[in-house]
Amino acid sequence: MIISVQWLKNYIDISDIDIDTLCRSLIMAGLEVEEITSQDAIYKHIVIGYVEEKIKHPNANKLSLCTVFDGKERRKVVCGAPNVEAGQVIVLALPGAIIPDGKFEIKIAKIRGEESSGMICSRKELGLSDDHSGIWVLPGDTKIGISLAEYLEKTDTVLEIGITPNRPDALSHIGVARDVAALFNKELLKPQLKAAASGNEIDSHITIEIEDAVNCPRYSAKVVKDVTVGDSPKWLKRAIESIGLRSINNVVDVTNFILHETGQPLHAFDLDKISGNKIVVKQAESGSNFVTLDSKSRDLDNQCLMIRDAEKAVAIGGIMGGENSEITRDTKNILIESAYFNPSSIRRSAKKLGISSDASYRFERGVDYENTLYSAERAAELIAEVAGGKIVSGCIDIYPNPIPDKIVTLRFARVQSILGYPIDAKQITEILRNLGMSWIEAAADSVTVSIPGFRPDIEREIDLIEEIARIYGYDNIPPIQAMTLPLIPIFDETAILDVIRGFWSGIGFNEIISNSLQRTKIEEEKPKAIATLNPQSADMVDLRTSLLPGLLTTIAKNISVGEKNLRFYEIGKIFIKKNPVIASFDDFDEKHILGVAITGLAGEKQWYSKESAFNFFDLKGVIKAFLSKISLDNLSNDCYNHNGNYLFSYLFSRFVNSQLLFTGGKVRKEVLSLYNIEQDVFYAEFNIEKIEQGTPVQKKFKEPLKYPRITRDAAFVVEKEIESEAIIELVQKQNLKFCKAMHLFDLFENDSIGETKKSLAYSIEFYDETKTLTDAEVEEEFIQIIGLIKAAFAAELRG
Amino acid sequence: MEHKILEIRAAYKSEINQAASLKQLDEVRIKFLSRNGSVSALFEEMKTLTKEQKPLAGKELNALRNFCESLFIAKKEEIEAQSSIVAPKIDLSLPGVNYPVGSRHILTRTLDEIKSIFKSYGFSVSGGPELESDFNNFEALNFQADHPARDMQDTFFVTKDFLLRTHTSPVQIRLMQNNKPPIRAIMPGKVYRNEAVSSRSYCLFHQVEGLYVDKHVTFAELKGTLVAFAKEFYGSNLKYRFRPSYFPFTEPSAEMDITCFICGGKGCRVCKNSGWLEVLGCGMVDPNVFVKIGYDPEEITGYAFGMGIERTAMLKYGITDIRTFFDNDIRFLNQFK
Ligand SMILES: [Zn+2]
Repeated sequence: MIISVQWLKNYIDISDIDIDTLCRSLIMAGLEVEEITSQDAIYKHIVIGYVEEKIKHPNANKLSLCTVFDGKERRKVVCGAPNVEAGQVIVLALPGAIIPDGKFEIKIAKIRGEESSGMICSRKELGLSDDHSGIWVLPGDTKIGISLAEYLEKTDTVLEIGITPNRPDALSHIGVARDVAALFNKELLKPQLKAAASGNEIDSHITIEIEDAVNCPRYSAKVVKDVTVGDSPKWLKRAIESIGLRSINNVVDVTNFILHETGQPLHAFDLDKISGNKIVVKQAESGSNFVTLDSKSRDLDNQCLMIRDAEKAVAIGGIMGGENSEITRDTKNILIESAYFNPSSIRRSAKKLGISSDASYRFERGVDYENTLYSAERAAELIAEVAGGKIVSGCIDIYPNPIPDKIVTLRFARVQSILGYPIDAKQITEILRNLGMSWIEAAADSVTVSIPGFRPDIEREIDLIEEIARIYGYDNIPPIQAMTLPLIPIFDETAILDVIRGFWSGIGFNEIISNSLQRTKIEEEKPKAIATLNPQSADMVDLRTSLLPGLLTTIAKNISVGEKNLRFYEIGKIFIKKNPVIASFDDFDEKHILGVAITGLAGEKQWYSKESAFNFFDLKGVIKAFLSKISLDNLSNDCYNHNGNYLFSYLFSRFVNSQLLFTGGKVRKEVLSLYNIEQDVFYAEFNIEKIEQGTPVQKKFKEPLKYPRITRDAAFVVEKEIESEAIIELVQKQNLKFCKAMHLFDLFENDSIGETKKSLAYSIEFYDETKTLTDAEVEEEFIQIIGLIKAAFAAELRG
Repeated sequence: MEHKILEIRAAYKSEINQAASLKQLDEVRIKFLSRNGSVSALFEEMKTLTKEQKPLAGKELNALRNFCESLFIAKKEEIEAQSSIVAPKIDLSLPGVNYPVGSRHILTRTLDEIKSIFKSYGFSVSGGPELESDFNNFEALNFQADHPARDMQDTFFVTKDFLLRTHTSPVQIRLMQNNKPPIRAIMPGKVYRNEAVSSRSYCLFHQVEGLYVDKHVTFAELKGTLVAFAKEFYGSNLKYRFRPSYFPFTEPSAEMDITCFICGGKGCRVCKNSGWLEVLGCGMVDPNVFVKIGYDPEEITGYAFGMGIERTAMLKYGITDIRTFFDNDIRFLNQFK
């Protein structure tokens, strides 16, 4: 919202407060001054000058070369306007000036070989009108050398203030002045109305009827007759323009002036265009439409509140007036509407119609329902003052169910128990008075006040405490240097994530964070995806069902900048639809997932090693290390799937307590091509909830082995189909007394052992926790194992 | 005697200095320090001195022996060090074997820093769902339907009643529904805002909120806690201010600003020439929230606060485009290990 400091001075004496202090105080009271603009800033280096001489430009037909006196010195200025003549008083932009229309800077320059050190401006270039017929020629008696700002009397300072939605009272100059009054303990000077003429002539001009008193609780009106619609006087025009509005005519300008003075939106109708001398406030009919002031046709529904005359709608209540009853230069008689509309009704309609007007913005936040008549009368006075005409005696004020007074009791002790700092009772009452609260009852330890209509946000004791703190100054409440610490157990639900990140970042992976909103590209995932109703773009329509797409997008992006060897992980939520309609938390799953992807080279070519590409066993190996880190390595075995699924060409997975812990494998080419990736990607996805559930709460210490381990190696030639792990599992199942472990250390395939065969070499480990084994004991089990493997897999012992 | 000691000392020093190899060094050692060496000879000679002369001579002889021994050790180390430079066996300048160095995302790191400070103040850490009900995200937090306060947070809806949470405040509701005061926790997580993606806003960001609910919790304590945090996180010299603001779920509500550390408060582009940076929002939990939960607001008070991690990291590390965080360019990720 824009506040003119000059305008503000009508309601409060701030002659002893400089702008910086004023702004700082407003900010510290919750009215955030976002920008301070001195009006003259845009006219910097623009002055009034006098054309002493004009000759033709020697090198250009359409240009003139002028000698201009700027009050201090004579300058050569090249001018292209046809109407420039010697003897004119003109507006001269000096080097350094920024031309308001177009925002370009004036510099000393050579134009067709002639130096020009300034520019003679048109009204359009100065942003003052659309007239670009030629330079702006000022009256001959204008003082030479003064600044344009001074000439235009634009020496005001304008504040842009961000007003939070709870403070509709501050959406006007009087509202801001009220806060200033409270902050500096000054008097608010609200304009007094003149004594009204007695009589009720208004009744012969108009009757008003509210059919929907819920959405329009109050409707006040005044009539002014025989006005002359025309340009606004200078003071009104300047006020209107100072806050960035365009002056339209004296009547409309007055309604805008009152809106920004009191915060009450007004609407002025051309009374002669109101049929049947009658106004009715009622709901629109669904499916009807209405042409608003801006010449747009609006589709209405039965939630829109309409202002109608005997025949037709003339305005959308509280949102925008109609073209059919607007004030024109021919208007003679005026009906001023000053109403209070229900905030949520206005909000619904404004949203529905896609209109946000100065009026609807204020109505939906809540205007002062006690102020409607005052504003109507003030408007009538001002219209009579600036547009002539006569105020018709009497007023209309329909208020069938007056809004009850809000009465709130404030206990002084409660102020301290919330703020943690004592504020003097005297100071509390002073603040409340300055903010416009009226006294109902004062006791030793409390005060009961009635809340004015302009503060819809204040209803409870806590609201008053906030007001007191706000005006007293948050910074005047000293922070407590010690804190009370309840002795309760501290928990950290994110602790497991630290462990996970510690492992993956520690082993060389980069953590990424990708967008959880995306377009589901993988066909099979589409039925699982939950869509947002109002996406930003088609690329961000769905909630992700997997971390794979985010990782693939990231991989593709990095490959495109030449980074091809990547180890990434991400921790994040995925969302899976369980039922077609989301009506409760049971209709979808939100899972916490760890996604891991590797692609490109595991190691580039080095002096000590050859280049090696990532493969499935890199993924498998790092997962094994991770499972060991989180103590889930010994609970169950991996399952292998050679055929894969729609995501993986082949994959492996592991279950803990029959629940899926992870799935990982080689990502299918078809999936990669959706993301334009040509190199292999290996990906695994962990369910973090299962990691947490599976991890043993506490490990028990185990005595390290005191007796030697003995290893024996054996290589077997078997058919290629036989899986290495099957052989190990077979031996494990025997539960032999001394054989405790077995691992593959060599794989050999060569025609020399047969085209369909491979050789698997194992190292087999024997020990006993209570004694040193003898050769004979080891030998016995070793032979047993060899026999077992030979028999079960048609294996031959090699070498 | 005294004269001899000085003579031997000088001779030893010069011979040691001339020794160029371990072998030569050892020869010097034998000549002076072995059983038959000249130093030992002096010890023999001492026996011939008078009772009065002995103590002084003994002291000097011991000093000589210590001097010789320490010089020998120093020289030996020098020769050994030199010999390894002179005669390399392997090219030690070859690059070492590569080990990849991973990274935590800068947002995680920033969050971890904030988390550890609040944990040290006795706050727990709690999480909650991102896909929330309208009740938990808005209604329970005193956002009334059809109130302009809802415009403060543009929302992605999934249905009329389910949405992507716009702040982590619903976790406050969940915590209070499931626990009795005292409750003291921070709640980090992703939140979503339906805003056009640009350098300044993204459709999602990360937030940390905090909540302390108990008897006798006050605004002054809220200020104290946040000032302590800001000084630890941003630097102990900072200036701060609390100014009134509005959040439907707190009252009084405030925003905390700190002096712009980019311009030192003089005013720059980042602080929009105000000299101040807004770093967090806070306030006393609104009694309406307690009533919705089922607490007695006469008995229980509390404070809540919240801050955006992206904004915090952007300020702290001078990142100007919020999309940088979600592009995950490895050249960016690798800058913060
Ligand atoms: Zn700054």
